[in-house]
Amino acid sequence: MSALLEAREVSVRFGGLTALRDVNLAASAGEVLSVIGPNGAGKTTLFNAITGRIRPTQGAILFKGRPIHREPAFRIAQMGVVRTFQKTEVFGPLSLAEGVLAGALARGDTDPEARAREALETVGLQGKAHLRADQLSYGDQRLLEIAQALAAMPQVLLLDEPASGMNHQESAHIVRLIGELRTQGFAIVLVEHNMHVVMTISDRVMVLNYGETIAQGRPAEVRADPRVIEAYLGVQKTDAVAG
Amino acid sequence: MSDSTRFALATGLALLALLAVPWILRNDYYLHLFIVSLIFVVVALGLNLIVGYVGQLSLAHAAFFALGAYVSALLFLKLKWSMWIGLPAAALLTGITAFALGWVILRVRGHRFVIITVAFSEIMKLVATNWVDLTRGFMGLPGLQIPALSLPGLGAIDVSSKERFYYVVLAAAALSFYLCYRIVRSSVGRAFVLVRENEVLAESLGISAFRYCMIAFVVGAALAGAAGALYGHYVGFVSPDLFNFSYITIMLIMVILGGKGTLIGPVLGAVLFTFLPELLRDAAHYRMLIFAVILVLATLFMPRGIIFPLVEHLVPRRWRTRHVRTA
Repeated sequence: MSALLEAREVSVRFGGLTALRDVNLAASAGEVLSVIGPNGAGKTTLFNAITGRIRPTQGAILFKGRPIHREPAFRIAQMGVVRTFQKTEVFGPLSLAEGVLAGALARGDTDPEARAREALETVGLQGKAHLRADQLSYGDQRLLEIAQALAAMPQVLLLDEPASGMNHQESAHIVRLIGELRTQGFAIVLVEHNMHVVMTISDRVMVLNYGETIAQGRPAEVRADPRVIEAYLGVQKTDAVAG
Repeated sequence: MSDSTRFALATGLALLALLAVPWILRNDYYLHLFIVSLIFVVVALGLNLIVGYVGQLSLAHAAFFALGAYVSALLFLKLKWSMWIGLPAAALLTGITAFALGWVILRVRGHRFVIITVAFSEIMKLVATNWVDLTRGFMGLPGLQIPALSLPGLGAIDVSSKERFYYVVLAAAALSFYLCYRIVRSSVGRAFVLVRENEVLAESLGISAFRYCMIAFVVGAALAGAAGALYGHYVGFVSPDLFNFSYITIMLIMVILGGKGTLIGPVLGAVLFTFLPELLRDAAHYRMLIFAVILVLATLFMPRGIIFPLVEHLVPRRWRTRHVRTA
């Protein structure tokens, strides 16, 4: 299957600091690709480069074979590549219904209200549509972020730590939701530290360390990779023994 | 009753009351204040689109107001064009100027945006002051008149008296209000609010902040230009004083203390803050001191503007429109 989203040899440098070096990525419809790695590995920088918040210093990012790395953020979203953020971003004082309209308005939907309702139903927030976004619990704000993205009718969904700070029940809900979205044909790129979520839901996992890809493959393969254990998973193993 | 019906009803009643003002008010001075405040309603509505709806603090608005006044004045004095052509020409030229300025400055935010708008205003003032051949510099452009208004089927109507010119500015204010109402209630207005509340998020969902800020900036500037043309012809004189910082200060007070991000707030603000300094004239030397104290107290105790406490105390909850509840 040809990839919807591709990153080819993408590097991002901030002055003397190389945040990403020659990173390759491909995500196809109906697939969950997880990007993992320690803090500062360049995961969010990769999302920022894909979604037009920063320009890659070199390399190319393609959506359906078309280069998008010189397009502004809003146009990339209109094309169908939409993200959520590591630090929750919602339209604070607006109601959920008003905030979720954003994506539908941007895509010129003929019935944006219906699209917004549908997005809220998908994440299970339809009963709270009248509430202000900043009155929601943290977990619900995470779900609202996904609803906002869904209303923009994406084909590629980039989720930046959607399960962070959530309890087991909420994490399980996120896993179910991502699974449903995958069956609906979205290409999902997931940045997540919760390894249970990553290993449960991912079709492929890519590991970044200091801006470079150190491993890529099926979850079981990546989990067994000595470089990944040394750079990232080894810490969790120690925790598990201690716990 | 729906939000729209309530809003239309309230607006209709307010308009009826305003139509009766020259009949009830047999006082030239107060009528003058009403005329000036209605001109500033147009200005404040335009500034509100920029400051209140897309959340950009533009200090160039007084310059657009003055530019509109100069355009119409120069067309009238140099080319003998009637104010009725000068008025739309002023709005158009001001809108085009705002588009050119916006193309550059709407790519920056925060203090850089504010500073560039101040610089633009100062440059415009320098041009008006130093291009003496065209503008007569500090001497200004006197001799502006309000020509008769020719309407199909009605012939030429003399609107130069205060009583009649009041209806001209009332029509301008009502049209501006309607225009802003339509914009704010449209998908464009919704996008304005989304950009104001979280620009990064709005862009990540496909909304071009630049595009919507540009729409607000150009429409707001065009309204200021039209108001400037009305003002110039009403007072009969245009000078570089119109670019003074005091103008943008009072415009911002009207919008922010009126209730930015609402439609009614800036209208109330324009009327209140035109009348208030005048009503304090009895206080002689202490007039501006009292005015300043009122402004400080209003800012401290009504940070969202006078419209919100007014609505909360006077209008039952079920009668409140969506815009006053959520803006």
